[in-house]
Amino acid sequence: MKMMYGMLTALLPAAIWGVYAFGLAALINILAGVVSAVAAEAIFQTLTKQKITVKDGSAAVTGLLLGMAVSISTPWYAVSASAAFGIIAGKQLLGGVGKNLFNPAMFGRLFYLYVFPDSILPWLRPFDLTTSATPLEILRETGEAAGVPILDMFLGRIPGAIGEVSSLLLLIGFSYLVYRKFVRWRIPAAAFSVVLVLALIAGHNPLFYFFAGSLVLGACFMATDPMTSPRFPKGQIVFGIGIGLIIMGMRWWGWQTPGVYEFTEGTTFAVLTMNLFTPYLNRTFKPAPKK
Amino acid sequence: MLGSSLVRSLFVIGVMLVVGFGWYPIGLARLKKNGVAEPAAKKQAKLAAKKYSIIAAFLYMVAMVSVAGLFV
Repeated sequence: MKMMYGMLTALLPAAIWGVYAFGLAALINILAGVVSAVAAEAIFQTLTKQKITVKDGSAAVTGLLLGMAVSISTPWYAVSASAAFGIIAGKQLLGGVGKNLFNPAMFGRLFYLYVFPDSILPWLRPFDLTTSATPLEILRETGEAAGVPILDMFLGRIPGAIGEVSSLLLLIGFSYLVYRKFVRWRIPAAAFSVVLVLALIAGHNPLFYFFAGSLVLGACFMATDPMTSPRFPKGQIVFGIGIGLIIMGMRWWGWQTPGVYEFTEGTTFAVLTMNLFTPYLNRTFKPAPKK
Repeated sequence: MLGSSLVRSLFVIGVMLVVGFGWYPIGLARLKKNGVAEPAAKKQAKLAAKKYSIIAAFLYMVAMVSVAGLFV
């Protein structure tokens, strides 16, 4: 419970920045995510005669993460439906917190990508709200990790999802979680290391890859979910490496539907795919009992 | 837009139901064959069916997202 409230606290600065930069529509989407996730959990638990656990804050974290991971172009009902699906199918069906296979926020986000593909775009710039290509879309078009000032990407002055744009505030929040020992820091450390190495091999600026897209939000806040990530250090490193590899693969060669939409970011697919391997990683890297 | 979204949602739920209800009798029969007592077997088979239905939904959505152009 403490951890979930710690997560909410850590995410708050980036969420507030999103609302400040994108306006009322951002607040509506964030609230839609949180309210729907909490309501879906409470309704499901009432109907199935379980103890209502919304006070533990995990549903609110799922809703907040989902609300932060969409554009302000997304209608509130899409966020709402995705949050409810993430909570019910991704978490409650298997018995709730601690028994879920997938990160509920990511599962909800996959549902959103599949069910509401026409509401993903356009990405808007903060403050002036003009349609603009994201750094990853520029990378896909030009093949070069350039064209966007790194400082703008770091501070959150780029087009993108509500809560993803400010890497600085997300990293401050993540530092708080590490300080409070609420997260498995090895996972983002491994993911960022892979991104660093691959970017250097490609001759690109690694900072571009760090601060573009949803790497910071996904690797620091979603992949570190204690229920769906490996328990043991070696498993966490392999998990993080897998996430880094899939994200970079998707960024360079991700699925494309010409003329419709190109998936230039792969955090959702990376985290969910690695979630599938968590039970295996827990078995494989379980430390031998001390003699 | 809403109509096609509704259809897609129903497809996901449909996949989950087909896999879940399809797997349950198979899982139950397997567990019984392995000598697991009826009440425990039912509980385990139910849990496995839910798990596989969620994995099926994941795989289905990933597959569909990769060909999303067909649905827009």
